[in-house]
Amino acid sequence: MEDLTEMLKGTLEGCVLEIIGREETYGYAITRRLNELGFADVIDGTVYTILLRLERNGLVQVTKRPSDVGPPRKFYALNDAGRAELATFWAKWEYVSARIDTLREGGR
Amino acid sequence: MSFWETVTGSDLTREWNDFDARAAALPAGHRAAWEQIKTHLFPYGNFTGRNLSPIADAALGLLEEAAADGRGADEVLGDDIPGFCAALAGGEGARTYRDRWRAQLNRNVARRLGRLGG
Repeated sequence: MEDLTEMLKGTLEGCVLEIIGREETYGYAITRRLNELGFADVIDGTVYTILLRLERNGLVQVTKRPSDVGPPRKFYALNDAGRAELATFWAKWEYVSARIDTLREGGR
Repeated sequence: MSFWETVTGSDLTREWNDFDARAAALPAGHRAAWEQIKTHLFPYGNFTGRNLSPIADAALGLLEEAAADGRGADEVLGDDIPGFCAALAGGEGARTYRDRWRAQLNRNVARRLGRLGG
């Protein structure tokens, strides 16, 4: 599906947290995972800015590992603050999606 | 950082020269993207531009990773480099000229008002 960027904006950070929460991973792998999920418009640059923000906000633990090709890669894992943030994200998501479903079904 | 470096910013010049040396090793497309990133990051600098070094380092790191994986700069950054730079610089600690002018204006107005109010 195309042109999801605007709609995704608020939720992409949560998606990235969820992906990192599953296993320690690095930027390009996160982009690929999102692309596989069907978010074709998501590019490395976007993921990268999210990762920097997570790092600045102290939600992830960053480890630099040497790579076979090129510069060392930064690997990201969730810390306790990150796990708490992820739980908050899902709670918010439940709230919003339940309301929107209700709206579509014509209820109040 | 020594006093001399603080005053002259000589360490910064060296740092940016290092960045440019790293960029010189990149393929042409990535190098062009680096030039654009530098241009678009500049407005987010503080007086010395010291706050930009870590951001520039991060952006260059991304280009290096992309080049090592054989991915093009446009593939990685999309066509919105200004937007990318804004997002990189965004968040706390990345105050722009405009923010500082605004703060200064607010301070001045507050001072004037305080004087008028007695």
